[in-house]
Amino acid sequence: MLLEVKNLVKEFGGVLANADISLEMEQGEIVGLIGPNGAGKTTLFNCIAGYHEPTGGKVFFEGEDITSWPAHRVAKIGIARTFQSMKIMPNLTVEENAMIGAFSRTGDRWVARSEARETLELVGLAKEASAYPTELPIATQKRIELARALATKPKLLMLDEVAAGLNPLETKEIIQILQLIKKEKDLTLFLTEHVMEFIMTISERVIVMAAGRKIAEGISEEVAREDKVIEAYLGERYAKGK
Amino acid sequence: MDRIVRDIFSFGDRPFSERIGFVIFIVIVLAFPWIVESGYARAVMIKFLLFALFGLGWNLIGGYGGQVDLGQAKNVGFGAYATALMMSHWNTPFWLTIIPGMIVATAESFAVAYPMFRLRGHYFAIATLCVALAWKELFTFWDWTGGARGIELPIKPTPNFTYMEFGAIGYHYFIFGLFMMEFLFMNWFRKAKMGYELQAVRDNEDAAASLGINVTLTKVKAYCIAAALGALGGSFITVYYLYVDPDLVMPLDLSILIAMTVMVGGAGSIWGPIIGAAILIPLDMYLGAWLGGIGRYGIDFMIYALIIMIIAAREPRGIWGIIERARRRR
Repeated sequence: MLLEVKNLVKEFGGVLANADISLEMEQGEIVGLIGPNGAGKTTLFNCIAGYHEPTGGKVFFEGEDITSWPAHRVAKIGIARTFQSMKIMPNLTVEENAMIGAFSRTGDRWVARSEARETLELVGLAKEASAYPTELPIATQKRIELARALATKPKLLMLDEVAAGLNPLETKEIIQILQLIKKEKDLTLFLTEHVMEFIMTISERVIVMAAGRKIAEGISEEVAREDKVIEAYLGERYAKGK
Repeated sequence: MDRIVRDIFSFGDRPFSERIGFVIFIVIVLAFPWIVESGYARAVMIKFLLFALFGLGWNLIGGYGGQVDLGQAKNVGFGAYATALMMSHWNTPFWLTIIPGMIVATAESFAVAYPMFRLRGHYFAIATLCVALAWKELFTFWDWTGGARGIELPIKPTPNFTYMEFGAIGYHYFIFGLFMMEFLFMNWFRKAKMGYELQAVRDNEDAAASLGINVTLTKVKAYCIAAALGALGGSFITVYYLYVDPDLVMPLDLSILIAMTVMVGGAGSIWGPIIGAAILIPLDMYLGAWLGGIGRYGIDFMIYALIIMIIAAREPRGIWGIIERARRRR
C-alpha cells in the first residue's frame, strides 16, 4: 500500500469540508478524484500534503503515519503536488524553477541543473529553459509546475486540476505527457479534476466526492453511470429521468 | 571543493557587459585615492563602500529573501560595540574582535527570529524596527557600554595594523577589502542551494514547501547570515571613527538608509547594493553640503524622497530592474 487515508475529517469553523474520507492507493496506479466544485477535493489534497491539519483521521504513506506533518516533510518523503491556482516562482527562470525541485535531493547545483533539464525535456519545455514563467502562456506554466514537481523524484504525484483552463488540444498534450511520465518513472498519480472527460481518459480508477463526502469509487466507466454521481453533477431530476 | 572556489570567483553566468562594468568599477576604486586628493571626496568614497557593504548584507534577507528588515542597525551596533568593548577593555587586536561581533549578532538574530517570522510583510518590518529600537535604548542606558556618551578608543602614536589605525588611504583599501569579501560571498551564495531556496521562498512559500523546503528555517538562516554581514561593517565603523555611541551605529536612520540603498539599486540582484549606494551616498553628502552651504536646508531631503518615490512607483525592482527590463525588450 502506497497511500492510505483513514476516516479523514476536515472542518473549517463548523463547515465540514471533508467528512470521514477513506481511500487506498497501490504503487503504480492512476487514480482520479472527481466531484463538482466545492466537493472538497482540494481540501483533501491539502490535508494529505500537509497544507491543512486534519480535524480527525489518519494519513499513511508507505505504512508511515504522516498525519499533520508539515508540507516540506511530506515532500521529502516522496509526495509531490501541483496547485490548482498556479504557484509559479516568477523571478526565477523556467530552469531554475525546476532546479528548486531537484535541490530537494541534492546540494550540488550542477546535478540539480542537469536533472532540471531532464524533467523539462520530459514535459517538452527544453526550449523555454531560460525564459521567465510570466512571459509564457498558462498551459506552459502548468507544465513548469509539473516539471518542478517531477524534479523532486516523487513516488506519488498529486495533480490538482492540472487541465483546468486548458483548451482541448492542450488537454490532450497534457494527457500524453502524463502517460509518458507514468511509463518512464513508474509513478503513482493522484489527480483531481471537475472536467469528467479528462479524468475518464487517464484514470484507471476514480473516486467521486460531493459535499465533502466520498459517494462512489470504482472503474471509470461504471462510476460515471451511477445515479449518485449523476445526481451530484447534474441534480436529482437528471438522475431520475435517466 | 574547487567547485565552491569557482562559484565564489566566477561571474560566468552574467553577461559580458556586466563583467566589464565590474572590472572598471574595481579599477576606479583602486585608483581613486591616487587620483583624487580632496579629503571630503575620499570620505565620501569610504562611506559609499561602507554602505555598499551594508547593502550586500541587507540584500540577502531583503532582496533574495524578500523580507523587509528595518532593523539592520542593531547588527551594525553589535559589531561596532563588540570591537569597541574588546579593544578598550582588554586591548584586544582588532582582527580578533570581528568574529565575536558577528557571533553576537547572529545569536541575537537567531533568538528573535522564530517569533518574528510568525509575522509577514509589514508586520515583520515593524517588528524588526521595534527590536532594533529597543536595543538602541538599552545601549543608551547601559553603563558597561558607555551609555549615551559611547566609547572612545585611544589614538595610537604610529600607524598600526594590529589595531587598524592609519590614514584615509589605509581605510579606503581596508573597507574595499571587506567589501570584496562580502561581495564574493554573495556571489557564491546566490548560486548555492540555499540562495535558490531562499528565492523560492520569497517568490512563493506554498510552492517552496511543496518542493521540500522548510520555509521558516530558510528565512531564519538568511536573517542570521545577514546579521553577521551587518556586524562586519559595524566593526569597521569603530576603528574608522575610533568612537562609537548608540546614535552613530544604531539609529533608525541607519536601518532605513541601508534598506533604501538596496531598494533603489535593485533588491535581489548582485549589483543592486553597489548601484544604490553609488547614487544615494554621494547625493546625500554632496547635495546636502551644497544646499546647506547656500542656505537651502532641507531641499536635499525633498530631492532624495522624490527619487525614492519615482523608483518605487515606476519599478519596484529598482534601477537594476529598469536596466534588466530594457535589456530583455531589446
